[in-house]
Amino acid sequence: MAKTLKPVRCEKCNGCELCVLEAQRQLEKVGLEESLIRIFTKKDPDAEYPQFSPNLDPRVNSIDIEKIKNICPKDVFETEEE
Amino acid sequence: MEKIIKKALIIDLAKKTSEVKSFGDLRNFVGGIGVGLKLYEMYKSKDPIIFSVGPLNGFFPFASKTSVILSDEGVIEDLYVGGNLSLRIKFTGVDSIVICDKSREDVTLDITNTTVSFKPAETDLHSLGLPGKRSLLNFTGKEFLVQDYFSTPENFLEMAARNKKVAGISITGTEVLKPQNFATYEKLYHEILKKRSELRVEEGIYPSCSNCPMGCGKSKVGEIGGNVLIHSLVACHYADKIYSDIGVVFSCLNVLGYDYTHEDLENLPKLIEETLRNIS
Repeated sequence: MAKTLKPVRCEKCNGCELCVLEAQRQLEKVGLEESLIRIFTKKDPDAEYPQFSPNLDPRVNSIDIEKIKNICPKDVFETEEE
Repeated sequence: MEKIIKKALIIDLAKKTSEVKSFGDLRNFVGGIGVGLKLYEMYKSKDPIIFSVGPLNGFFPFASKTSVILSDEGVIEDLYVGGNLSLRIKFTGVDSIVICDKSREDVTLDITNTTVSFKPAETDLHSLGLPGKRSLLNFTGKEFLVQDYFSTPENFLEMAARNKKVAGISITGTEVLKPQNFATYEKLYHEILKKRSELRVEEGIYPSCSNCPMGCGKSKVGEIGGNVLIHSLVACHYADKIYSDIGVVFSCLNVLGYDYTHEDLENLPKLIEETLRNIS
């Protein structure tokens, strides 16, 4: 069965973008353009810190998602059987 | 040849113009504080604020800061700010962004790669650039913050931005880079990432700089002064044990196609000292 990558602990994301860059490296690229993962940043006026949310292109499941899961220092991702 | 030339986006606030300039004679200044100071010397009469990245930014872990050179009442200050800014500047395709002179009215700068739009100050900064590929520098009235969080020490940047009437900056970088020997580059990337125990900061629960997993509590306030090699690369000050290892630095530079020699790096502090003397 195919596995898919899911961001399940988004509240822990620290915005380091290691996942973004790992996804790009798997496609032999360094950059942000056409990345299969993007990190969006938002800060509520009263909040002390910005919040980060990983945004996944479904095509990310065609690359090595275990490597993406494992590079995250905050354990934001899980891989799940479809 | 490409790696020898440094490129800078020169923005003139008074004339509301911008241009990309290539400099063939800045190779030995490496990047960051080195290139920033030399550009400061060239544009001194225009009282510039200069944001610079180095050769390793975007490519390697812990090379996660952006160098800021400015004058505070005639005293040159070198500041280093974290967050996602260094990656965005790297992917604009230039080494430095030089903001010259002073705007007549408050202005917000919208930079996408090397295209600059001058927007009214009241423009919603979050409406500019491309989400996920942009870095927002927002003047809150009190602080000049990257991603509404990362700052620089001592309020020098705030004062300089206020003086120039810059209310905010959006920087979007969409260039894609490809090291020639990608397999070697990737291996080296992971070797350096494994060195996180050599950092002089503890892993934390705070927002992290791009390409650094630590989320430490130190990155919020940025850095001022310090080791010129680290700040030319422009790596995090707390990763100095990693990037003071000349073997690591050469491995990184070589895999990216730079041909710096030991002598080049040994001469860097002297070059920077001379440039500072010329400016002062």
